[in-house]
Amino acid sequence: MAKYLRKRLLEIIPVLLFITFIVFFLVFWVGDPVALMLPEDAKQEDIENLRSALKLDEPMLVQFGYFVSNVVQGDFGKSFRYGEDALPIVLERLPSTLTLAFTSMIIAVLIAIPAGIISAIRRNSATDVFVTGFSILGKAMPSFWLGIMLILIFGVIFKILPVSGNGTWAHLVLPSITLGTAVSAEMTRLVRSNMLAILQQDYIRTAISKGVKPLSLILKHGFKNALVPVITIMFLQISTLVSGALVTEVVFAYPGLGQLLVQAVSGRDMAIIQAAIFVVAIMVILLNLLADLLYKVFDPRIKYN
Amino acid sequence: MTMENVALEVKDLKTFFHTEDGVVKAVDGVSFNVNKGETVAIVGESGCGKSVTSFSILRLIKAPGKIEEGSIIFENKDLTKIKESQMRDVRGNDISMIFQEPLTSLNPVFKVGDQIAETILLHQDVDKKEAKKKSIELLKKVGIGRAEQIFNSYPHSLSGGMRQRVMIAMALSCNPKILIADEPTTALDVSIQAQILTLMLDLKKEFGTSIILITHDLGVVAEMADKVIVMYAGQVVEESDVFTLFKNPKHPYTKGLLESTPKVHELEDELKSIPGSVPSASNWPKGCRFYSRCSMRLNHCNDNAPELLGDENHIVRCWLQNEEVVKQSEYAK
Ligand SMILES: Nc1ncnc2c1ncn2[C@@H]1O[C@H](COP(=O)(O)OP(=O)(O)OP(=O)(O)O)[C@@H](O)[C@H]1O
Ligand code: SF4
Ligand SMILES: [Mg+2]
Repeated sequence: MAKYLRKRLLEIIPVLLFITFIVFFLVFWVGDPVALMLPEDAKQEDIENLRSALKLDEPMLVQFGYFVSNVVQGDFGKSFRYGEDALPIVLERLPSTLTLAFTSMIIAVLIAIPAGIISAIRRNSATDVFVTGFSILGKAMPSFWLGIMLILIFGVIFKILPVSGNGTWAHLVLPSITLGTAVSAEMTRLVRSNMLAILQQDYIRTAISKGVKPLSLILKHGFKNALVPVITIMFLQISTLVSGALVTEVVFAYPGLGQLLVQAVSGRDMAIIQAAIFVVAIMVILLNLLADLLYKVFDPRIKYN
Repeated sequence: MTMENVALEVKDLKTFFHTEDGVVKAVDGVSFNVNKGETVAIVGESGCGKSVTSFSILRLIKAPGKIEEGSIIFENKDLTKIKESQMRDVRGNDISMIFQEPLTSLNPVFKVGDQIAETILLHQDVDKKEAKKKSIELLKKVGIGRAEQIFNSYPHSLSGGMRQRVMIAMALSCNPKILIADEPTTALDVSIQAQILTLMLDLKKEFGTSIILITHDLGVVAEMADKVIVMYAGQVVEESDVFTLFKNPKHPYTKGLLESTPKVHELEDELKSIPGSVPSASNWPKGCRFYSRCSMRLNHCNDNAPELLGDENHIVRCWLQNEEVVKQSEYAK
């Protein structure tokens, strides 16, 4: 186990290097970074000075070397907008986004697992049709639209929940429902199809032939086998969660990483963009590693070697 | 043969599958008795309805399948009629089952020991510790050394033979009155097959369990069975005690089977060598279902379905048993 963990952690290094590479080139792809930093009427001389001060006149590979060594020290440069180091600004936003992602995932799981299981055992019933329709709708419905509807209903008409900002649990409710619904749609579908396949298995017939009761049959003998796929699905939904968080945070003016990133992109605040992408990438890598470790806990057939 | 001696009575069982292509009459009027302590073998080609018959006894038939007619009498109850909760008390407790597929019949995410203990906990008034102790004893009884260790293994780490032993231990855990074994050895190596069968015989002697043994294999029948039921196309075509059947088979299908088994002890041999194929279960012919393959068929057989004829020790579904018909009808080509 420890050996496996060490191996997996070592494997992260090339991935990180690749991400650093992408993030580094992002700047050049967007345009001349020096021109971005200076006012439009800057003199040619000032431009040249800044260029050499930033070591941007040196060969690409050397520049990449500088960049890597800075990144290793957590230095992504200063944000234009805030005039401070980018990484601390990004990290400061991280907890809000993680909280939102976490509560959304909980909501998604709380919807998807019961809905998926029920529609699998009541296959082709009215319930199943309803759940399937709901999950198609949930997938097709844009997050921003659902967000705005929720704001209208709960914030404007009933005035029972805050519609923007953060700080209290109440602030989390609408954004989490918005994001959670989007994620639950796909998840419900996959829980259903996994459960359908499991209920056809020979070991379910064995369990019935032993006299196992229906609830235990479905949850213990059935659903426990679905746990590994469900965890996989949960972690596969992280990308949906991250992209969904961008939109949701903007709709609800929720001060998280997504909102910061959207602002940084529109303001071409390269240091923030680079730091934010880097942080998100590391987050996704670590969560995937966590998923791998969780499989082991739930499926005895998976061995690490 | 008194009624008290009968452990299970299947009467005119019909189990159909309502598929998109029509009604598949997989089991079409099957009747037989299983006496206490008796081993009844059900033989017949693939698809003749052996598994569907045995699943029907425990009511394991899933939609689109359904028991349409008939009764299955066990201890004065009709298993086709009792409530699901009553049926659960019978399953695994009074009647238990070993399946054709040892590799997939155990739940992969539970320790095999816990799967045995679960059955005990479901039907007996014991605590977990006691159930574990009993499970380990059962594992030893089915010939598993290091039983404590195996108790804690997951199915994937055991061989097919080991898994089938675990299934047998599980099936016997509540001392069932009837054990249904659906081709318990078909998926196993030849050397393991003999071990599993010997094990079942030993256990039967010890517990006095009645066994319904389903098999392709006439060698196994000769070794294990007291009574044999030959099935063809969803029906019983011949039934008698094992000696009579081997010495004096009467149905042309049974004769064909026996001829295609060169030696009784060749366990590998399967019942395949009668030319022709079984008619479709969604459209049984009007006359004898074996007509298209029968080498002794009469003109009469094509339009008239034969009934079971004979005495209580030997019954046969064939017009050749009816002297009137044989006299009046010509052999068909
Ligand atoms: N779920 C189902 N839907 C439709 N038809 C079915 C279903 N299950 C079984 N049948 C049909 O019922 C018939 C009997 O099947 P059964 O499994 O009882 O055969 P068997 O005698 O056990 O054969 P084998 O020796 O191969 O195990 C077959 O014709 C099969 O096609
Ligand atoms: S009834 Fe006729 S066709 Fe059928 S098995 Fe007997 S002889 Fe053959
Ligand atoms: Mg079968």
